[in-house]
Amino acid sequence: MNAANSLKPRKISPWMAWVGFLGILVVTGVAAGLLVFWKGLSITNLSDLVPWGLWISIDLSSIAMSAGAFSLCAVVYLLGLKRFEPVARTATFIGLIGYTMALLTLLLDIGRPDRFWHSMVYWNKHSLLWEVTMCVCLYLSVLVLESMPIFARFDWLKKRWPKLSGMMSRVHHYAPYLAIAGLGLSMLHQSSLGALYGVLKARPLWYRPDVSVLFIISAVAGGMALTVFASMLSARVTKRVNVDDSILDRVAWIVGWILVGYLYFRFWDALAMTYTYEPGRTEGLRLLTSGPLSFNFWVGEILLGTIVPMVLLINKRTRSIQLWRMLALALVVGGVAAYRWDTNLSGLIIVLSYLPGEPAIGYARYVPSLVEFLSGAGVVAYGLLAFSLGVRYLKVINHQVVEEHAEEGREVTQPAAAD
Amino acid sequence: MSAPKINRRDFLKVAGVGVTALAGLNLIRPAEASSVTPGPHQWAMVIDQSKCTGCGYCTLACRAHNDVPPEISWNQVIETGTVSGHQVFLARPCMQCGHAPCVDVCPVKASYYRPDGIVMMDYDRCIGCRYCEVACPYGARSFNWETFNGPNPAVPEWGEPEVARRPRGVVEKCAFCYQRIDRGLSLGMTPGVDTDATPACVVACPVKARIFGDMKDPESNVSKLLRERASYCLREDLGTAPRVYYLNANPQEME
Repeated sequence: MNAANSLKPRKISPWMAWVGFLGILVVTGVAAGLLVFWKGLSITNLSDLVPWGLWISIDLSSIAMSAGAFSLCAVVYLLGLKRFEPVARTATFIGLIGYTMALLTLLLDIGRPDRFWHSMVYWNKHSLLWEVTMCVCLYLSVLVLESMPIFARFDWLKKRWPKLSGMMSRVHHYAPYLAIAGLGLSMLHQSSLGALYGVLKARPLWYRPDVSVLFIISAVAGGMALTVFASMLSARVTKRVNVDDSILDRVAWIVGWILVGYLYFRFWDALAMTYTYEPGRTEGLRLLTSGPLSFNFWVGEILLGTIVPMVLLINKRTRSIQLWRMLALALVVGGVAAYRWDTNLSGLIIVLSYLPGEPAIGYARYVPSLVEFLSGAGVVAYGLLAFSLGVRYLKVINHQVVEEHAEEGREVTQPAAAD
Repeated sequence: MSAPKINRRDFLKVAGVGVTALAGLNLIRPAEASSVTPGPHQWAMVIDQSKCTGCGYCTLACRAHNDVPPEISWNQVIETGTVSGHQVFLARPCMQCGHAPCVDVCPVKASYYRPDGIVMMDYDRCIGCRYCEVACPYGARSFNWETFNGPNPAVPEWGEPEVARRPRGVVEKCAFCYQRIDRGLSLGMTPGVDTDATPACVVACPVKARIFGDMKDPESNVSKLLRERASYCLREDLGTAPRVYYLNANPQEME
């Protein structure tokens, strides 16, 4: 698929077209982002009633899609299922991209991006947003370390600074420790991103304990699904990728069963919420089940986002057909993103009155502005571009690559002995 | 060969769980009224709905004294239906909650309790994440979407600014005119009695629908009123423990 392999000299290879397309989106996104920094958030369609919108949804989704990194690393290094190691590498790289995407959108979203470091310095240990910020930053450091061996595979780096490249690949010896740190940090913030909504008494639709559970389960499903989907798609479009389909098939099967668990929790969560009338909450649910968000909810989240891929991935016949499996995985990713969008928006556009007497419900409106779309698209395009470059130059999808520690035992235990 | 490896694994697992648990402890500490010990004064406001005519002077005086831009109201006056044919109004400043959701959620402690119960904002610390806006049940917080440039239309007719203008990108809200209280106290005045030490909205009210004072002082106007009259707070069911009390509109008084 790339120019190097084709005999006829062509002006624009599909690779160049793809990179060019993403490049244009990134440049437009950067321009839109700079405009936001310059003009302020007044050029968005966010308001005091709906202060969080498209960017938060991208932020939540990209963190969710990065959950493949911690879950697959835990599977490989803590459960000891070494055969999944190549997929965990891909997931780690996706995680690194996802978390940087999240930080970029957060930077756009906060009113004072110049003060982003305040949460590192001024701690409100009781705030879930503080905890999320700390975990995201710490986990990003973990991901950077976990990705060191991946970057060490960059040919140019290997030739130019072989020593540095060697050092970077030796970070892999610490993989089990990093996996533990990643697991702890991710279990905390993947759930508390949901709890961030779930603790708000003022918003009856959100105010319940299980948002956190739903967030982490859907994140693990979405993260694993994206990892497998990206690996399969890359294998179809480029020869630089080497996949062992039996591993991908297995992970896809796991995703299918995670969806069963997710649907189960989702069902009881919905049942408890719909059982009796609760001001604000019932109206919020109506938005989802029959209101403007109902297509998103029924089709995007439940039918196509959960039930269809669940069946397609658990059923061996459909799972073993590449296109069906890819379709199912893509649907999972879409479903998780739709869940994030719906959760954020449904809770915000219901405005519960604080006036005495009958609880009056108001409805706010929110449609993202062009500048929000462009900068959001820029962030997503950056993610796709970084991943494409990784596939091409860092061999992030190569199931034949064996990391150094695979020589087993001794080397892995070295750091422990050093402690 | 495999035995020590399992031990190491187990150790790591235990260590991981331990670290996670330790990190989680602070998050799950039960909510306290306030992390600061209450000081000698506890400010409170009583708003008499029988008297309020909805003139909006309070909002304008607030804008002038706190240099609030015209598109933001720290203090909102809302029509809330009628009692025996009389329009009833509800003026809503910040409730200065004893269990303030905004203080709980702020990631950087830009919202905090003063010992006198006022919920304060540190505008130099706020990062503009707007989580407090989402958390506040009273809509008492406003984000500075734009830079407030130029003259304040409420100045000088309704007063002179006493605090610094907030920059673009931070959330702002009413703080019971803490600057007037602090300055007044330092000059030996009594907030709620001496107008220079009392919140601007209370002073500006032409019908004296607002009463301000110290809950710690049993002889203050607010203490007496709350002892003698039935009052209510907004969304008491949420347990936010507001320091703004309302006296219900009474049709006889409104004649």
